[in-house]
Amino acid sequence: MSQYHKTGLLLRLNCRRDRWRIVIWIVVLAALMASVAAKFDGIYGTPHEIEAIRQTLASPGIVAMFGAFHFTGRVTTAEIFANEMLLFMALIQVIMNLTLSIHATRSDEDQGVTELIRAHTVGALAPLAAAMGELVIINGGLSVLYGLGLQLAHMPGATTSGNWLIGLGLGTTGLLFGTVGVLTAQLADHAASATGLAYALFGISYLARMITDVQHPQSTWWSPLGWIEKLSPYQHPNWTPVGLSLLLTFVILGCAVFANAHRDLGSGALTTRPGRRTASPLLRGPLSLIWRQQRNIFIGWLLGITLFGVAYGTVFNTIGNILKTNPTMQQVFGRAMVHDANHQILLNFTSLLAIVMASVAVIPGLQLVLKLHTDETHGWLEALYARPLSRSRLLVSYVSSALGLSTVAYIGGLAGVIVTGNASLDHVQDGISTAEFWQTIAAQLPMIWVFLALGVGLVGWAPRIKALSWGYLALGFIAVYMGGLLQLPTWVQRLAPTGWMPRVPVHAVNWTTFSWMVALSVLVLFLGWLGYHRRDLQLR
Amino acid sequence: MSTTPLLHLQHLQKNFGHFRALKGVTFDVYPGEVFGFIGPNGAGKSTTIRILLGLIRASGGTATLFGRPVWQDSVQIHQRLAYVSGDVYLWPNLTGGEIIDLLLRMNDQAHTTQTDTLIHQFGLDPTKKARTYSKGNRQKVALIAALSQEADFYIFDEPTSGLDPLNERLFQAAVLALKKRGKAVLLSSHILSEVERMCDRIGIIREGQIIETGSLAAMRHLTRTTVAVTLGDDFDVTTLPGLHAVTPGHAAREWQFSVDADSLATTMTTLAEHHIAALQSTPPTLEDLFMHYYAKE
Repeated sequence: MSQYHKTGLLLRLNCRRDRWRIVIWIVVLAALMASVAAKFDGIYGTPHEIEAIRQTLASPGIVAMFGAFHFTGRVTTAEIFANEMLLFMALIQVIMNLTLSIHATRSDEDQGVTELIRAHTVGALAPLAAAMGELVIINGGLSVLYGLGLQLAHMPGATTSGNWLIGLGLGTTGLLFGTVGVLTAQLADHAASATGLAYALFGISYLARMITDVQHPQSTWWSPLGWIEKLSPYQHPNWTPVGLSLLLTFVILGCAVFANAHRDLGSGALTTRPGRRTASPLLRGPLSLIWRQQRNIFIGWLLGITLFGVAYGTVFNTIGNILKTNPTMQQVFGRAMVHDANHQILLNFTSLLAIVMASVAVIPGLQLVLKLHTDETHGWLEALYARPLSRSRLLVSYVSSALGLSTVAYIGGLAGVIVTGNASLDHVQDGISTAEFWQTIAAQLPMIWVFLALGVGLVGWAPRIKALSWGYLALGFIAVYMGGLLQLPTWVQRLAPTGWMPRVPVHAVNWTTFSWMVALSVLVLFLGWLGYHRRDLQLR
Repeated sequence: MSTTPLLHLQHLQKNFGHFRALKGVTFDVYPGEVFGFIGPNGAGKSTTIRILLGLIRASGGTATLFGRPVWQDSVQIHQRLAYVSGDVYLWPNLTGGEIIDLLLRMNDQAHTTQTDTLIHQFGLDPTKKARTYSKGNRQKVALIAALSQEADFYIFDEPTSGLDPLNERLFQAAVLALKKRGKAVLLSSHILSEVERMCDRIGIIREGQIIETGSLAAMRHLTRTTVAVTLGDDFDVTTLPGLHAVTPGHAAREWQFSVDADSLATTMTTLAEHHIAALQSTPPTLEDLFMHYYAKE
């Protein structure tokens, strides 16, 4: 009996179990790509438009966000498209792959499903192989849909080989990081730590790519996430990144298979140590229980987002120095103008970065808010609610922790950017002032609170569809992040709270907007509390 | 036995959408008694208990504990209540010891020598993370927390389903000790021998309705006694009224049958006239009772 016996059966089972997840991811991603491509000629069709955006894309601030691409000769619409979309789509695809791969491996093992399956005539490596098969099908399917979508969109300057190169480039990048998830699932001893480990590797790849892009684009080859920028699909199609991704996928898969063969079911290379015999005197209620359970995650997020900010801060000097891209400016306009211009660039960069930081800071808080319902369905709250503990007290414990965590994470992330950024500048007066920093903080906090309040509302009234809050956050982020470059209509940018406040620190905080957004969060929080207070708990 | 019940359920109902999970559950539990709550899977035992705990809200009827409504006053009620659920789910990254202490503290109680004794008796390693515990060990954590808690009403929902026989004995001894101290216990269980040994009164639930409550002795009157008899003459037992499932034994003059409680006396009088050589009578076990009620459609 081979090690892979019944892989096919398990693969079919996985695909059936995950069919809605898979369909939603694939449809959303393929539709996003194809619709942007179809619209692109209308946005950047004329040589004048192309020239304007080409200069924008060359500025270090945009390079830090969207990657360094090389333009030569006459630039086509398709090349601009590749520049704006490749890295962005790769990021979403990596997130999809990490979610699905850990779900298909470690989560099953945590829930005892793998044990149940392995008791039958199923090969030892079959569950892992089935998970890989699922990733290959999803990424392969997406590659084909991307290729077809781009063919149909028929952008000026697009070539057939370029279209398929984009499809396969994104597919192999996705597969590569999906395999990273499969590997971390073997190393960690439960799903949450496997996810944390995988995202840490993803974060390192991203930061390596960002810093090298801004300072020395050749070095971006060292980050697997940077390979996607090297495809150059519509100029000199380069298939090396596809090959490299596949090669590294096989190497990582080999490690995963080795790790899988050398560990016991249900355990990992990083094992759980014995803990305290009695509880610390501080562990005595719901708030301290949340802290005790989640402290590693809290600390990880705060450190992670601050480091993320620090990494962005290190590129301030390159971005905020207009003379590097426009050396004659000082002679023409004089020193004062140059400083003004530099300051303006940094304000712009900070305003976009603030939205990135705030959106990222929503994630741990929203996870915690939704965990209130997840814990409920896991049966963990049953023991708590058998104690003299009111619904309100538990809800307030979760929600206040979530609000605090997201708020501190955002302030920490932005502080990381600004402190490091200002320190890196040759001319301190070009940097972001303390007043501007606090304006930026004030501008995004209401948005964070509205998203968390929305999560509480869902937990209170419609916990089954709580995952929609992630979709709404993604929509809000994409609408604002890509809104400028894709020239999305204003109403699209205002669909979610991310787009309600003017860009700060470029503009001043609108305190009216601030006030009603805070009022809205309070109202939705109250409604959520009302619902949670009244409804039946959903237990196993 | 006191006359005011600690737990009072009157025509309790619960609907999940169109499904009527509880159609009318009525029973009382008094101080100093162990009340056995039995019924097949899906009959509504856990639903009833979750209503008592204020986890879900009743659709109709009344439920009070210590004279207070269970939904509105759950926090006050839980100060005097201990509970062990059937499926124990614990926070995976806390140790058993931490969870026991936390649960006690949430009732404003502390880890005592009694807690240590229980940990030792049940043979629990409190330093292990809950993630690594087996089902039985998770149950031990919940049981130790509940048994070392000072409460007036204890609810156990199939508490021994994952325990080995030694630990099952420990649990039973602990419950009898609670009873001696005048505590009330609601025990839901599938292990009928356990219920038979420990419970003063029993409530049988089927399809969301209590179909019988009372002491085991009283219930036995409602069913048949199995009798095996060897007679001294050729009397034909099948001629007697009130007998069921009469079968001849292996030897001549040997009979087996079951008899309704109200025909038992007349049957015995008649048989005595036919020179009983050997007699074996088996009172109905709880299992027989259970089967009797469950099979009755």
